[in-house]
Amino acid sequence: MAKKFIDKSRRNDRLAELLIRIGGIMVIISVVWILVMISRVALPLFYPPSAKMTATVQLPAALPAGKILAIGAEEGQQGAFVLDESGSFHFFKASDGSVAASIKTPAVPSGAARVVSAEYTGKSAYNLLWDNGAISSVAVAFASVKDAEGKVTLAQDVSSQDDLSFPPSGGVLQSSARRIEGKGAVRIDRLAGDHLRVTHQLVEKDLLENEKRTNTSTEIADPLPGRLTALTVDSKGHYLYAGTDNGWLLRWDVSEPGQVRLLDTVQASEERRAVTSLALVLGDMSVAVGDAKGTLSTWFPVTLAGTGEDKRLTRIHRLRPNHGTVSVIIPSPRDKTLFSGDGTEIHVDHMTSERNLLTIKPGAAMVQTALSPKGNTLTVLDSNRTMTVWKMDIPHPEISFGTLFTKVWYEGYDRPEYSWQSSAANDDFEPKMSLVPLVFGTIKATLCAMLFAVPLALLAALYTSQFMSPKLKGRVKPVVEIMAAIPSVVIGFLAGLWLAPLIDKSILTVFLTVVIVPVMLLVTIFFWKRIRTASPLQRITRGHEFVAMIPVVLIGIYCAYLLNGVAETTLFAGDFKQWLYSSLGVRYDQRNSIIIAIALGFAVIPIIFTIAEDAISNVPRNLTAASLALGASRWQTAWRVVLPSALPGVFSAVMIGFGRAIGETMIVLMATGNTPIMSWSLFNGLRSLSANIAVEIPEAPLDGSLYRVLFLSAVLLFVFTFIINTVAEALRQRFRKKYGRY
Amino acid sequence: MKRFWKTGEPYVLATGAALAIVLVMTLTLVITVMSNGLGYFWPRELVRFEMKDGSFALGQITQHEKNPVSGLRRLQLKVANRDVLGQDFRWIEEKDIASRSLPADAVLLERREHGNYFGFLKGVTAEGVTLTGATPQEQLHQALKLVAAKLDDTRAIKKQMSGLNHTAEQLRLKLLKLEYRGKEKNAAAIAALTADREKALAEFTSLNEKSSATLAGINLITAQFSDVSGGGKDIALTEIVALQSPNSMSFFAKCGAYLERVRELLLDDPRESNTEGGLFPAIFGTIMMVLLMSVFSLPFGVIAAIYLREYARDGWMTRMVRIAVNNLAGVPSIVYGVFGLGFFVYGLGGSIDSLFFPERLPTPTFGTGGILWSSLTLALLTVPVVIVATEESLASIPKGIREGSLALGATKFQTLTKILLPMATPGIMTGLILSMARAAGEVAPLMIVGVVKLAPTLPFDMNFPFFHMDRKFMHLGFHIYDVGFQSPNVEAAKPMVYVTTMLLLAIVIVASSVAIYLRNRMRGKYTTSTF
Repeated sequence: MAKKFIDKSRRNDRLAELLIRIGGIMVIISVVWILVMISRVALPLFYPPSAKMTATVQLPAALPAGKILAIGAEEGQQGAFVLDESGSFHFFKASDGSVAASIKTPAVPSGAARVVSAEYTGKSAYNLLWDNGAISSVAVAFASVKDAEGKVTLAQDVSSQDDLSFPPSGGVLQSSARRIEGKGAVRIDRLAGDHLRVTHQLVEKDLLENEKRTNTSTEIADPLPGRLTALTVDSKGHYLYAGTDNGWLLRWDVSEPGQVRLLDTVQASEERRAVTSLALVLGDMSVAVGDAKGTLSTWFPVTLAGTGEDKRLTRIHRLRPNHGTVSVIIPSPRDKTLFSGDGTEIHVDHMTSERNLLTIKPGAAMVQTALSPKGNTLTVLDSNRTMTVWKMDIPHPEISFGTLFTKVWYEGYDRPEYSWQSSAANDDFEPKMSLVPLVFGTIKATLCAMLFAVPLALLAALYTSQFMSPKLKGRVKPVVEIMAAIPSVVIGFLAGLWLAPLIDKSILTVFLTVVIVPVMLLVTIFFWKRIRTASPLQRITRGHEFVAMIPVVLIGIYCAYLLNGVAETTLFAGDFKQWLYSSLGVRYDQRNSIIIAIALGFAVIPIIFTIAEDAISNVPRNLTAASLALGASRWQTAWRVVLPSALPGVFSAVMIGFGRAIGETMIVLMATGNTPIMSWSLFNGLRSLSANIAVEIPEAPLDGSLYRVLFLSAVLLFVFTFIINTVAEALRQRFRKKYGRY
Repeated sequence: MKRFWKTGEPYVLATGAALAIVLVMTLTLVITVMSNGLGYFWPRELVRFEMKDGSFALGQITQHEKNPVSGLRRLQLKVANRDVLGQDFRWIEEKDIASRSLPADAVLLERREHGNYFGFLKGVTAEGVTLTGATPQEQLHQALKLVAAKLDDTRAIKKQMSGLNHTAEQLRLKLLKLEYRGKEKNAAAIAALTADREKALAEFTSLNEKSSATLAGINLITAQFSDVSGGGKDIALTEIVALQSPNSMSFFAKCGAYLERVRELLLDDPRESNTEGGLFPAIFGTIMMVLLMSVFSLPFGVIAAIYLREYARDGWMTRMVRIAVNNLAGVPSIVYGVFGLGFFVYGLGGSIDSLFFPERLPTPTFGTGGILWSSLTLALLTVPVVIVATEESLASIPKGIREGSLALGATKFQTLTKILLPMATPGIMTGLILSMARAAGEVAPLMIVGVVKLAPTLPFDMNFPFFHMDRKFMHLGFHIYDVGFQSPNVEAAKPMVYVTTMLLLAIVIVASSVAIYLRNRMRGKYTTSTF
């Protein structure tokens, strides 16, 4: 019985020991686990993209590669198609390369026999230029059809789009046509002898809904600096871009019928190489320029110094050069990715991040290249009449180390900048995800708060541990501990909705307080000396001095408040904010860094206070006693003996406070305007990393770039606080070892 | 004087001033919250102003100040009647006032929509009901009672309806499951369940009709009011939440009204996008989340502390654990939120959904923020608090007690459970309470993993399985942020935010005070000697 009991006890003991050890190790595991988990979400940002060849189709001999005008593939890589000179679309099954259907373009313009060229206008639509100069538009559509047995087959359809069609016209070599939203359409023709002609087709409807189309043609009269080699129009038909054989890039405004205005003539290529390919990046702002030696760059109009209001085309991004002449540039319909080909291989680059994403090499020289409407399927027809389909997986093309941490020249900006603007209403928006303004905001908030909190907390801790009477100490310390327990949302709310309007009304009070309270203090000290020598008050007040200081501080603040109006009228002509703006050019935000300093400072004071007080109190009393016995005053003892011994502990207190301030979310969220600006001005708001996560993560789509970037900023916060806390803890442990007591 | 400086007495005073500033700041915060929060419910007088230009204003004076532009004194008046005037507050220059009075018959109506109404009662129209009262006031009270009784009836029906709704929803989910597992195989069961569901839905519809009929009847009972400028207003009695005439109330009546408002605050649901009414769901959500969190954090924290103090030898492993604990305490709370979202919500929650509730996808069950994930996230966040407190209390138990127990032949585990843990209980309690206070006030991570501004259902109800771990919940701290910073009419919502703040602050301060008291008492018990 007894043995059984002892065995059982021993077994329990061993079992418990095991469990408890596991529990202890779990703490380490959970810390590591947190880092691993958030890093795992952030890491795919930097994964390399991939492309997989999913199908090849050998075209029948009846379709020579030279007679193919356009190609394409279905989004799911199930089918591909080609357009031949007769205007017929031939669809192939990706699985076996057999012809699925051949559909002749509906609505062939009268008198047209042959398609001269086809221009892809996005969303599977093509503009066909016929041999008589007429233009018609067709769109290809795929649909999955389930038959009676449940087998899914792909159905194809070719439809004509009547709203974009132009009557025949003579002598056209090359043509582009665009819809003008709600008005009609525009076509731009290149005629023999490098003449350019712009034709607007305005559609008017009368009361009976009868359409009347009027065509207005204008020839561009501007002399060209060279022979035309490339031509493109933006998707709204507003701007015409042209490139010449000696490297000039021209831009015209063709938005007004009958009026053509030359906006820019810039040299786009060093060594005056021919501009061989032009394309507009999604959003119609940037134009991608490829030249005869394979250089690829993007340009957009910028207000430059000395040019006044006029915006000039400027080279913004240089992408990785191709090996040979850039023969084709295809912009992605989803983001700012560019596909450029030099006849032998295709480069995939992202404009903003300047990242070379992929290089795809077809088997033989490329004849035609096409991208699916979602931008993830690339089709290439080579000179061997083989059509190859690639499925591309490019998860986060816009993110690179550069876009996160260095200046980037974003569309519409006049210079490279650090900027955070993760989303906008339109799809062709260029996301700006620089973490620099957020890191800046975090550091600014933290520094402001520390400037406010550290002196107060350390001095108060010194007083509490060294000079205060022990009885009072037992009452004051819990007050500070309760201060530490005040939820940050409460502090943030008061800072944002109570303190900010209050300071907004009398901003000078803050500055006056900084001056007046120390002055009041000096005055009090002066009188204190008199009182001390004159009365037995000293004995009573020894250890209670701070009680006498409370009214001094209150009166000081009140005086500052009273003087606010006077100071504002005498020094700043009655309106400080106006003065600030007109003389210093500083905007005043209601929720500014002063509010942050006070609110965030309030939150970290108790943390610094408690740890510092602990450290100072733990300095062995025999040191103090020895110092006092040698005749040092209590201040000399505290300042020269106690504080230096406690310095590591005090330093670790400051660091832990720093760590807290960096990660504090609610206060910064509520007490600043959350504008991600980079300005050291005390009167401006900021946006910190942590507040940014809180603001943006509810709207970030799962596994999108924004989501991962926010996780990355969480990793940054984690690593940063980890380092600070570890160093602080190491300091503290060493300090404890030195003085023994826990 | 020189000696005075040399001994450093002035510096002592300066350090004293620093402490004074810290204390003044703390006090200011508490006093600001209290003075704004406590006064909100007191029925304040409705003052009638006659202006020099002949117009009138009726309202409660909220503040006096100097006009920053003209330098003249002005006062802010809460004039309510948002639907008539367009805004709740207006500024009145004192120089424009001809006279002011306190009309005894001025009434304050709390309405279900459009905020309060300040005006004068003119009469009551009640179709199909005879009111015996002589004055409009008596008639109104009589009619209000009648309406309240009828509303009680409909409330009972509503309760039945929500039960039916729940049944129908459960049946729908069951149906989904059966269909997912195989339509043909479970055809009979599906048919039976569909019939049940249709029956429940039919019953629901009939009850709904019944209740709307009752409501339509009482909606016809209206009272006529006029505002101070003479404009009339017809208000259905069902719209009225409470009616006061603060100018004619005695002190005790005002106290009664105050207490009634406090009751409403603690026990009622919020109204008007959280800016009016009660806080019950938020209080309930906070408490439940905190309790659930303790279930996770307490055992884990205590075990880790025992490991550190009793089992671990002083080595690199212990140092690592200590550094880990400190980092757990120091990592920003928002990082926990991000971790909770990535690991608990999308990771664990997503897996649970695809394993157990595949039929409901893509509608997530656990794969979205909820009270369970919030509690787990906060448990991780507060574990260090429990660890540190437990460790401290274990450390304060004299070594002799352990040695005595071991010498008597007890195993380490027996010593732990029979001797040490009972002695350390106050310390563990301290840690627990402190961690609860921390959790109650933490908002940032919750915003990401499951708190919502308005939850339609509580996470606990009478429907099986009672605790609904997957539900989203409301939280006092988030309530402050949401109402104070996200509501369309911040000025009108401010008093409510102050009240919420006061409540949260009270909870946190009381909890921390108890913890600090416990800890200090415990410290005194075992510390044998210092210096």
